[in-house]
Amino acid sequence: MSGLRSFVARRLLLGALQTVAVVLLVFALTEALPGDAAVALAGDQPDPARIAAIREAMDLDRPAYERLAGWATGLLHGDLGTSLTSGRPVAHYIADGFGPTLLLATLTLALLVPIGFGLGVLAARHEGRLVDRLVSSVTLAVYAVPEFALGVLLVTVLAIKLAWLPPTALGYGTDLLAHPAALVLPVLVLLSRPVCSLSRLVRAGMVDALASPYAAHARRYGVPGARVRYTHALPNALAPAVQQLARTVDWLLCGVIVVEALFVIPGLGTVLLNAVAERDVPVVQGLAVVFGVLTVVLNLGADLVAHRLTPRAGVAA
Amino acid sequence: MTTRRRFALGLGVIVVPLVLALLGPLLTGEPGPRATSFTLGGGHWLGTDFVGRDVWQQVLLGGRTVVVTALAATALAYLVAVPVALMSALTRVRWLEELLMRPLDVLLAVPSLLLILLVASVLAPGAVGLALLVALVNVPDAARIVRAAAGEAAARPAVEALRMQGESRWRIAVGYVGRSALRTLAADAGIRLTGVLYLVSTAAFLGVGVAPDAADWAVMVDRNRTGLFVQPWAVVVPALLIVALTTGTNLLFDAALEKNQTDKRGRRP
Repeated sequence: MSGLRSFVARRLLLGALQTVAVVLLVFALTEALPGDAAVALAGDQPDPARIAAIREAMDLDRPAYERLAGWATGLLHGDLGTSLTSGRPVAHYIADGFGPTLLLATLTLALLVPIGFGLGVLAARHEGRLVDRLVSSVTLAVYAVPEFALGVLLVTVLAIKLAWLPPTALGYGTDLLAHPAALVLPVLVLLSRPVCSLSRLVRAGMVDALASPYAAHARRYGVPGARVRYTHALPNALAPAVQQLARTVDWLLCGVIVVEALFVIPGLGTVLLNAVAERDVPVVQGLAVVFGVLTVVLNLGADLVAHRLTPRAGVAA
Repeated sequence: MTTRRRFALGLGVIVVPLVLALLGPLLTGEPGPRATSFTLGGGHWLGTDFVGRDVWQQVLLGGRTVVVTALAATALAYLVAVPVALMSALTRVRWLEELLMRPLDVLLAVPSLLLILLVASVLAPGAVGLALLVALVNVPDAARIVRAAAGEAAARPAVEALRMQGESRWRIAVGYVGRSALRTLAADAGIRLTGVLYLVSTAAFLGVGVAPDAADWAVMVDRNRTGLFVQPWAVVVPALLIVALTTGTNLLFDAALEKNQTDKRGRRP
């Protein structure tokens, strides 16, 4: 038990360090770059009044470490700062974009788990036969395709040529649940890469587990095939898959940004891209911290679950 | 499917985008006068794009940036990751090892596209900047994998023997440990190149590291989307080429990997 406890302690410490590192990195990348940040941020409109306004709004006259301290204390109190362009609090931006992104992420995860495991088990059951070869080849091929390329091709065929689905979610606002047809393509595109990686992992784990001596022994005892598969083999294929599920958080995040841009969905990804385009540094910083911390926490959770499932394997910490 | 057939399939898929990307810029003539936006026909084989340029000519020009940036970023990532990993595997100084590898563990937590967008919000990185950024994002993972392979080789008795023979550190690191890790490196390189291609093209689609009217397949997909209803070819052709490029890379490396299968516990899910 002490082994487990020390693992948890070490993993939590790493998580805390990663959180601090995310905050430091976000600050360093956006504010501590050489040169005059205000001039760089004013960009296309190098108007002295605007430069002065940016300098004032971001407190650029104060030394970097003081600004970092002020920003980090604000973060601890839940204060993410205010936008440079509109003067609204960053928290409002996040609250606005949160709904659609959460909906997309929830739907994708809810479908990802059954489809990924289903395809993996299906391929493993028919190992070496046509179904397996088909699933393996398709997942291998789709795994590498960027979401935007797959997305526009699906839009061209399903939305424009066949007119089955709306090409974008434009005009539906944040209430996407009222327009389920507009959600089909975004979720399909978001699912494409994670489903492939998850099902390949489940397949590999299941193939190993089904070929193991204990599975053969269970069969010799006359345990039915379905029970061998689902109660004996599947749990052993689970641990690597759970970890992969957490790694897909990174992909889902990239995917959400791209999919929201592609289908004009007003979520956090769109907020982030708009802020990047407008060089609205406080909004970018706030969103980056939220996304970064979310990734750290989810990875932490997955490592702990995976460790609980296979204490022998030893997860990096 | 047999490995050989998969290999052939991968080659078949990748050859069109690769040839277009590498030789395309040599085949384009002088850019003609600009026509009306989003038209079909009129001497333009694939129609015109959002500013009235010939789409076929843009397709010929647009692959090079994607391929070259991705290759440069992959090479750069290893240029940093391999020395760090070898040094950390061979050093006997515990704190130096921690100092080299721990910061990378922490960096792994930051989502890759987020890091690129963060920098893009302050600077406007060009193609070189994008390659550097993508390389930076890939260093932690690459270093960890090479470190694991090199660490195993560095613990072998042969290394101890080489040390006692008085071989130089350089000779041990490059000649023995590095060579032992080469196979893992080769396996990792394929997966990494696929990931880098994904990241480079996605960043270009989001407008990072490219001019807004650049001749680049990903930029073409983004900018010509507005004309999707009237002139789909300006979007479909570059999108298909990107799909073929990424899929082909993945299929090819997967088949090559299986051909000289040594390490069954590959990272690929």
